[in-house]
Amino acid sequence: MGKGKAVAASATGGKKKRGIRETLWKYRTLELMCLPAIIFFFMFSYMPLPGIYVAFVNYNYQGGIFGSPFIGLQNFQFLAESGKLFELTKNTILYNLAFIILGNILAIFVAILLNEMRSKWFKKVSQTMMFLPYFISQVLVGILVYNLLNYDYGFVNTILVKLGLEKWGPYSDPTVWPVLLVIIHLWQQTGYNSVVYFAAIMGIDAEIIEAAKVDGANGFQKIRYIILPGLRPTLVILLLFAMGGIVKGNFGLFYNVVGTNSILFPTTDIIETYVYRAATTEFNFSRASAVGLYQSIIGFIMVMISNFVVKKIEPDYSLF
Amino acid sequence: MKRKLLATLLCASMVLGLAACGSSAGSDSGATANTSGAGDAQATTTTDDGASTDAAAIDTSEHVKIVYMTTGGAPDPASSQTDEMLEQLNAILTEKVNAELEIYYIDWTDYLANYNLTIAQMDGSIDLIGTASDWLDAWPNAKKGAFLPLTEEMLQTYAPKTWESVSAEHWDLCKYNENIYLMPEDNYAQWTNHGYAYRLDWAKEAGLADGVQSWEDLTTYFKYVKEAYPDVIPWDSDGTQYGQMVGGWITSHSDYVSIDGINSGAMWGGSKDDLYTVYSPYVTDTDSLVAFAEMMKEWDEIGVWKTDVLNNTASDNREDFKIGRVAAEQHHTQTWTDLCSHKEGYTIYDDDEDAETGFFYFGQETGNVVALSITHGAMAVSAASNNPERALMVYDLLRNDPECYALFNYGVKGVSYDINEDGMRFLPEGYNSATDSITTNFWWGRNDDLEIKDATMNWDAIEDLYAEYDSIKIDYPYGQFVPNVDSIQSKIENINEIHTNYMKQIAFGKYSGTAEEIVAEYQEALKSAGIDDVTAELQAQFDALYK
Repeated sequence: MGKGKAVAASATGGKKKRGIRETLWKYRTLELMCLPAIIFFFMFSYMPLPGIYVAFVNYNYQGGIFGSPFIGLQNFQFLAESGKLFELTKNTILYNLAFIILGNILAIFVAILLNEMRSKWFKKVSQTMMFLPYFISQVLVGILVYNLLNYDYGFVNTILVKLGLEKWGPYSDPTVWPVLLVIIHLWQQTGYNSVVYFAAIMGIDAEIIEAAKVDGANGFQKIRYIILPGLRPTLVILLLFAMGGIVKGNFGLFYNVVGTNSILFPTTDIIETYVYRAATTEFNFSRASAVGLYQSIIGFIMVMISNFVVKKIEPDYSLF
Repeated sequence: MKRKLLATLLCASMVLGLAACGSSAGSDSGATANTSGAGDAQATTTTDDGASTDAAAIDTSEHVKIVYMTTGGAPDPASSQTDEMLEQLNAILTEKVNAELEIYYIDWTDYLANYNLTIAQMDGSIDLIGTASDWLDAWPNAKKGAFLPLTEEMLQTYAPKTWESVSAEHWDLCKYNENIYLMPEDNYAQWTNHGYAYRLDWAKEAGLADGVQSWEDLTTYFKYVKEAYPDVIPWDSDGTQYGQMVGGWITSHSDYVSIDGINSGAMWGGSKDDLYTVYSPYVTDTDSLVAFAEMMKEWDEIGVWKTDVLNNTASDNREDFKIGRVAAEQHHTQTWTDLCSHKEGYTIYDDDEDAETGFFYFGQETGNVVALSITHGAMAVSAASNNPERALMVYDLLRNDPECYALFNYGVKGVSYDINEDGMRFLPEGYNSATDSITTNFWWGRNDDLEIKDATMNWDAIEDLYAEYDSIKIDYPYGQFVPNVDSIQSKIENINEIHTNYMKQIAFGKYSGTAEEIVAEYQEALKSAGIDDVTAELQAQFDALYK
């Protein structure tokens, strides 16, 4: 929007008074197209903003958000008192970093593979098959994983026993879960994420690739010098967006796969699961919002930092 | 520069916006619905006051629907018997109070969260709420304003029979801040103290002539079952049983009497000889906890439960007990009264005529049994109800009218049950539990005056045990204590978390290191979470109430 205004301002030049109205009229089609998004964000992001106040009150049904007694930072105290805030935040961030970094690398890899496939039929089939796990509910994923891995009658252990090997008990071994959870996450998300990159590859000017071919570039050179640089803006934007959510854990995945098995918590407990367990029986809206606010503030800081870093390195790709 | 600032602010507010609506899911919708709900409630209360001055002229000209909310799964859609019963019941209710009843079920999966969430909607979709001070959040919800305060006039006018049948002392136990919030199920004999139901015949085979009398006997029993019946899982527990296990152990090894409704672990209480000095056995009874941890490790090694018990959510242990796939069930006496009776589908009794089900109750060794609090089952009226007075009238009928009571609790006579010459209930010929049973889960107003005894129950065994209980029980001593936990809530929540995490490992023998180490670590964590502060705060409130 900012850019649009700037362009318009230079175009209309000196006639400043009629400038804004003229600009608005001139870009009416674009504005109309933006309207649903603007309404959406206004309704779901800006209108509930005053509701943040709920994080600072002792919520009760009669008083509602603004009628309940104000208690300052007491709702945040609970997080601090648990003595786990650091560990939880660390777990959440590390998992998300793994998800973001590995997820994007794998998605780019898959997108490039898809792009190189010659058989249209095979391309479609493999794309669909990779996409499917995305639609499986996390609850089912949890059950699936349990049936694969459980000690007494799990699929993996049945095979191990048949092969005469020793049984494997992941549900009593916290060290294996970071790897397992990342694998499960990648299995679910890669198909979906690769579509974005695949679309970006499709958007690369075919003439450049033609020209490279004429110049004698081989397949790998084409990928290295044309496709990968072409994906950079997409990657940067996706990373920046992901940074905002880096302290928001994937509750569905963790809760359904790990459940409430406390043996595994040292390596699998994230902010969401902790809060869920601690506050679920109390049904404390205020506390949940306090945690949400804490996550958002850190998310905001992360976005600002990463945008700053991106701007230093590659000013064109920064968000603002 | 200006633009950059603007962009920054926009970005900030977008991320914050996510905080307000994203991660706190229900909060906003709940909140907005609430304000209007509260308004409604206020409006109706005022009309009530007006009406109660003129009790004779209760206006029932408008036909209304009363929704009753209960925990437990909805009946199988294949079975229409519940609907049929409701049809007949609604005919009576329409005639008497011009209202009809609908049941709203909260399935057992995550029932507490769903229960509280449904109450929090406050949109007038629920009128009557089945609740409990010990196993459902009756007091927290009352404090948050989810329940309608019931004035004496309202009860006298709209639920006169209930008002009369409950004594003044019992009404006092249902008050918070001088207002009555709950209508207690106080005229119904039941025992909900926990223990293990087990196969008495197998215990005798294992050399326990008098059955299981102690935790040590249970070890012997489980060991025997594992060897003699390799196809049977001694106890297919799921990961949620830890709290009852350790609570049961402490009851069996001390005079501890817990206070209900502070946290699910019931970690604070007094002792039988000194009821009003608060302590937590989880901090003081170290040796006992160590012994518990050691025994549970032994059970784990015997293979009492599945190896991945903590992730085992699919266990159907009680049903499996009825058909002989498992050898024990941890639950309360009331459940055992079913299990020990030869009912339809309980194939253990068909397959083996010697089969018997015994009950080892927690506290058996020390005679430590506390009778049920009267608010273990109670009915509340939603503060958002549009027709609270009619809801009370319907409840009064369900609880006190013989015809409505029998219909609502047992179903249609001749289909769901029949009465024999002794005046006891039995299942009519051709009865099929899949299609002919009803599901109303009415645990909030059962009434011994109207109960019809079930002829299929093993009353000999049951009455023996009840007599034994009666000879040793003490009444629940803390009925009037509604703790005000606002200042210590965050500590309690963190303690819950610690208790859950450690106790799961201890109670299923899954800890690494020695029993002493894990118990010491657990107690250390409790202390740093401030368990002593909580004890002191509860003591202060106790002193204010009882001294």
